[in-house]
Amino acid sequence: MSRADGGNGTAGTGDGRGSGGGATNAPAGGSGAVGSAANRPASSSDRAASGAAGSAANRPAASPHRPSGHASHRAPGNTTSHRASTHSATDSLLKYGWVTALLLVASLQLAQAWDGAILYFGLAALTGFLALLLKKLVPAGLAALGVMVVAMAGGFLLARGASPNRDPAWVLLDTVPRLLTAARPAPATPELLVPGLLLIIGISTGAVLSVARRGTALFVPALGAAALYVSAALLTTGRADRYGLVALTLVVILALGWLVLDRRGPVLPPAVLATALAALTLLTFVLPTNGFEPRRLVTPPVTDIAISNPLPQLASWAAQGEAELFRVRGPEVPLRLVTLSRYSGASWEAASTYGPLGVVDAPDLPTGGKFQDASVDLRITGLQGEWLPGVGRPQAVSLSNAMVDPDTGSLVVAEGLRTGLSYTVRGVLETPSDTDLVEAQVPTTATKYTALPRLPFTLSEYARQATQNARTPYEKAVALEQVVRLNRRPDAEAPVGSSYARLETFLFGSPGESGAGAGTAEQFASAYAVLARAVGLPTRVVVGFQPVPEENGERIVRAADATAWPEVYFSGFGWVAFDPVSGNGSGPSAASKREVLNRLASTTAKPTPTSLASVPPLVQPTAVDPDAVAAPEAAKSFPFWVFTPVLLLVALYVARTSRRVRLRAAGPVGAWNEVLDSLQLAGLKPKPSRTVPDVARDWGEAGARLAVAVDQAAFAPRPVHDENSWRLARQVKKAVRRKASWWRRIVWPVDPRPLFRR
Amino acid sequence: MIDTGEVSAFRDLHTRLGDAVESAVRGKRDVIDLVLVAMFAGGHVLLEDVPGTGKTTLARAVAGALGGVSRRVQFTPDLLPSDVTGTSVYDPQTGQIRFRPGPVFANIVLADEINRAAAKTQSALLEVMEERTVTIDGVGHSVPDPFLVVATQNPIDLDGTYRLPEAQLDRFMLRTSIGYPSVEDELDVLRPGSGAGRIADVRTVSSPREVSSFSGRLALLHVADPILQYISALGTGTRTDERLRLGTSTRGLRTLVRCAQVYAASKGRHFVVPQDVQDIADPVLAHRLVLTRESVLSGVTTSEVLADVLSRVPVPKPAAQ
Repeated sequence: MSRADGGNGTAGTGDGRGSGGGATNAPAGGSGAVGSAANRPASSSDRAASGAAGSAANRPAASPHRPSGHASHRAPGNTTSHRASTHSATDSLLKYGWVTALLLVASLQLAQAWDGAILYFGLAALTGFLALLLKKLVPAGLAALGVMVVAMAGGFLLARGASPNRDPAWVLLDTVPRLLTAARPAPATPELLVPGLLLIIGISTGAVLSVARRGTALFVPALGAAALYVSAALLTTGRADRYGLVALTLVVILALGWLVLDRRGPVLPPAVLATALAALTLLTFVLPTNGFEPRRLVTPPVTDIAISNPLPQLASWAAQGEAELFRVRGPEVPLRLVTLSRYSGASWEAASTYGPLGVVDAPDLPTGGKFQDASVDLRITGLQGEWLPGVGRPQAVSLSNAMVDPDTGSLVVAEGLRTGLSYTVRGVLETPSDTDLVEAQVPTTATKYTALPRLPFTLSEYARQATQNARTPYEKAVALEQVVRLNRRPDAEAPVGSSYARLETFLFGSPGESGAGAGTAEQFASAYAVLARAVGLPTRVVVGFQPVPEENGERIVRAADATAWPEVYFSGFGWVAFDPVSGNGSGPSAASKREVLNRLASTTAKPTPTSLASVPPLVQPTAVDPDAVAAPEAAKSFPFWVFTPVLLLVALYVARTSRRVRLRAAGPVGAWNEVLDSLQLAGLKPKPSRTVPDVARDWGEAGARLAVAVDQAAFAPRPVHDENSWRLARQVKKAVRRKASWWRRIVWPVDPRPLFRR
Repeated sequence: MIDTGEVSAFRDLHTRLGDAVESAVRGKRDVIDLVLVAMFAGGHVLLEDVPGTGKTTLARAVAGALGGVSRRVQFTPDLLPSDVTGTSVYDPQTGQIRFRPGPVFANIVLADEINRAAAKTQSALLEVMEERTVTIDGVGHSVPDPFLVVATQNPIDLDGTYRLPEAQLDRFMLRTSIGYPSVEDELDVLRPGSGAGRIADVRTVSSPREVSSFSGRLALLHVADPILQYISALGTGTRTDERLRLGTSTRGLRTLVRCAQVYAASKGRHFVVPQDVQDIADPVLAHRLVLTRESVLSGVTTSEVLADVLSRVPVPKPAAQ
């Protein structure tokens, strides 16, 4: 390692130049060497070749002969460093330029997994050079360690700001699941950038430091680039490099590095890496939707919280009347407390699994296409429990300990609310227009939102009859709203409950029965939701607060404002609120609903089915449009694996060819390795204890001449490269090939065995 | 560092000497080359051979080609050390004690059947070989330069001989044998009127001064690191072989490096290649190895063991520098 960095080598150059400045007879000596060396085995027929080699010798002989031999005899490493240093300036410039290009391309590719992280990642890609500077002072390992420690400390401080209450030991580790559960592309917040930055800094440090030494130099950068590429592909499910251009660029840069920079490293690892990159590109290109999704492997950092259902509390809130719950600053929007999507037949239940908020995964049903942002400041003045009032689908909450159910957007604070708690919620409200909804369809796959365990026949039949004239889901939803509202009155004193029995009483109870035709918002919303589910509309119940008028810049939300409403999901438009209590909630406009009701009323009633047993399907098949996320069948069915052997053969051929190119550039030694390759391919691999001339003797004059050149290149103090060696190697190779059996000759170009030979 | 021009000059000299010697010793160019290598490397040769294969002719031919002085000592049990090194005698004419040099004061000394002499006499010769001076009555007398001892030893008929101990065998740089000539060469030798064996016809093609001037320069010939590692690995190979009681000493390996340098130069190269090491490993190392008793009984020779080691140790792979 120490030999590679400048000190030793530069000293060698200075020595050589200084002492040999006047050695003008060097070319003569050089040509003499080649001539006499070539004479020995090849006798006189070799004159022409040795003459050519002699003239070729002029170029390298420009490196001066050193008159005093003692020093170099004692210091065997000198020749190596001497040669290395003559090209060291351009060499290292090339090397570092190469690794910078590689790191930048790979890092910027990774940066696409974030929103606006390009600058940070580009800078992080260069941190390896810090380690390089540091290496001048301390050993390389220590330098790498130093950079990583600083980087991790910085990452810790950044991530700690995002979750101050977490155990410090987990701060850095937490960033990975956070990233994997974040939105795509992830926002460029510190704690989400940390994993990517640390990855890049680590890879950059390793790559630059390994390039700074010789030998296995180019393997680590290739590995790093591959790691970055794969990370980017996984984080974006291949979308960052949709057409494989980045992969192609990386492969080209890698190939250039191997062909131009370092001809000594092994060929196989880069070949494998390149093949892997190419295969990955092919996969992400051909099967974009079937890409491997790392998010499925990571359980988001979730917490199970068993929280009481606030629905029954509606009655007590209704009874409390004017009691102040919290204050709001912001637009006049309905505030949501909790969304209930599971119905057991006895009650509604809230989700029990919550993850950290700020950035959450997408909900189970796609959101609508039309949004409106809303941001409200809240201050808790009397509200109790764990549920945190919010607005729309929450995007950000200023409380760090708030957690969210990504499907419903319900917010909780596990520690419970306390009076005086102030926070800001930014949420997204779905704002479909009335005309959108008229023709909107509902998904059939959302069974979670249509589940009605052991639904009583009375309810299902009631729902069917209520919607029998309705053609579209929207008409059904509006019809049900009307049906539930008609002839029923809100009553704060009504019995609580949302079981089938309570709803049957609420809907069909005979006058005088307790709770018949009367209920709180709980019964209205539940009845609507059950009936809507019965006709196939995905429905859920939201507990929240009605919008209240502003007083002195603040809206004071009181207990009496608490309410519940159902929401129906329409494909492409998201969740739409309905209001079976008053008929004019925040959902579709009253005019739109009235239009629908008028049309339904004017339609002559179709003949009802004669038999109750033959209840028609709740959702007409034609009205069903499968959700848009079906995988492309064609891509799936084509057997792409048939390409694998072809790809493998191509990869092997490319690897072998690139090995040959590298060997060809490596002078006589490379030529000899090419001969050894062919001997191995022909099944004539020589024993390792046989010398070059000994092996070459069997292959005629060309072999003998090659052996001389090889020995000289390998063991002479100042080797003079024989330009003919590759031609000689080709002659030997031909002779070897002739001796090989026919089947060996068939697999010759793709036989991988030479790749494993060092 | 020795340069290519110097190497070419050496190669010419080596070829001239070899050609001249070969005119007297037919068909034994490899042995001649080895003897010349030993001479240029400043070492000595032990020829193990049956009588009548041309040992004496070889030594005298080398001396003739070199243009130096050649002496022959027939070792017998009653030979005294002073018969080898020389002695002080009283000169009645001058009335002074005068040193009369023994037969070691020559460029080429042929010590015939060295194992027949008593250990004391052997030691005297070996000491001169090592020290290159003869000390009589406290006065040192240097032997001439170049100084090559060619000792012969008859491997058969060992009755009444004093075997050279292992430590003293180490003093010989090379051990080899001449062996019988091939059929063609033998016919050539037998043919009446052939020049074989006629020392008088050996042309003098060099001078002792020329030889000794090269001898020092050749020690500067380039030996690449991988070659040294290879030589070291060979040494380790002999030391770890179970059939050997004693492997090669570091001195043996140094000698191998030295001989490889001269050998490489004799091939016209200004650097050593693995083939050089392999070519001269047996003459340089085989006589320094000591077999275990079991191996001796099973009939293995050190040359066979060394050949095994050579076929086991991988040669340095050619790598661009």
